[in-house]
Amino acid sequence: MTSRLEDLAATRDIAQQLRKLEIYIRNETTIEPKLNHLVKMRASQINGCAHCLMLHAEEALKDGEQVDRLSLLSAWQEAADWFTPREQAALVWTEALTNISSTHVSDEMYASVREQFSEKELADLTLSIIAINGWNRINVPFATPAHHFEVPVPEAVAS
Amino acid sequence: MTSRIKDENAIKGMYQQMLHLENYIRHETNIEPPLKHIVKLRASQINGCAYCMAMHTEEALKDGDRVDRLSLISAWEESADWFTPREQAALMWTETLTRISTDKVSDELYNRVREEFSEKDLADLTLLIITINGWNRIAIPFHTPPSHFEVPIEQGAVAD
Repeated sequence: MTSRLEDLAATRDIAQQLRKLEIYIRNETTIEPKLNHLVKMRASQINGCAHCLMLHAEEALKDGEQVDRLSLLSAWQEAADWFTPREQAALVWTEALTNISSTHVSDEMYASVREQFSEKELADLTLSIIAINGWNRINVPFATPAHHFEVPVPEAVAS
Repeated sequence: MTSRIKDENAIKGMYQQMLHLENYIRHETNIEPPLKHIVKLRASQINGCAYCMAMHTEEALKDGDRVDRLSLISAWEESADWFTPREQAALMWTETLTRISTDKVSDELYNRVREEFSEKDLADLTLLIITINGWNRIAIPFHTPPSHFEVPIEQGAVAD
């Protein structure tokens, strides 16, 4: 796959705008990096974004995530005990919001997710889901290619 | 419907980030306000965001769009001559990107849309679609209630 863009700089400004959201999420919220990667990967699975899946798999592994957990993420409900209650709530929220055109966020779902996230955290998690849904809507239509990567040695082990 | 948010301060940080995106679209792109409203309405129809539809209908009318045109946006392909080729291309791009999980972006669609938008303009249109898809994913799950509005006076119920 090669990019559809003739001038790769054409998306530079919009990427810059979305990057500001990521910087906010990283520096000004309590969303944990590992949880964030799971959210990014699950949304990218639903939206079918190869570039985003590759990127976040690599970053998740660098942050100490396990290959076996990532391998079954798209069927996480069948292996719910592999994920913490907070991760499960984040995945429920990610799926509901990514599929917003066909799902309704019931009071029951809202209440169950709120048990794991404060209002502020849930707003910030929502922004992270919005951001990855945005990246998906850039990289899929403009056909951003995915790159190969090696399983990294987790930074905690390497140091 | 009442908001699920108990503490409005909880969403301030997130909200501010979304406003940065809107400011970029308003001040640093070539996207015309009428086109912007149509795109926002179509995405909000697909996602089912009542708050966003009321807000952008009101804003579209303020910017001079017409009730009759806005009333048939969800079936725009059946009345394509009511929309410029550029608006039609924007609506196609909006529908496909909003439904990215089920729709494929074909080379044919890409080339058709590129006839109306430069690469830079198409990137900016894409950010606009991302932004309204974002607002939809705030207003729907957090139950932001829509507001009533009146049709601006210059478009009162006067028939030709």
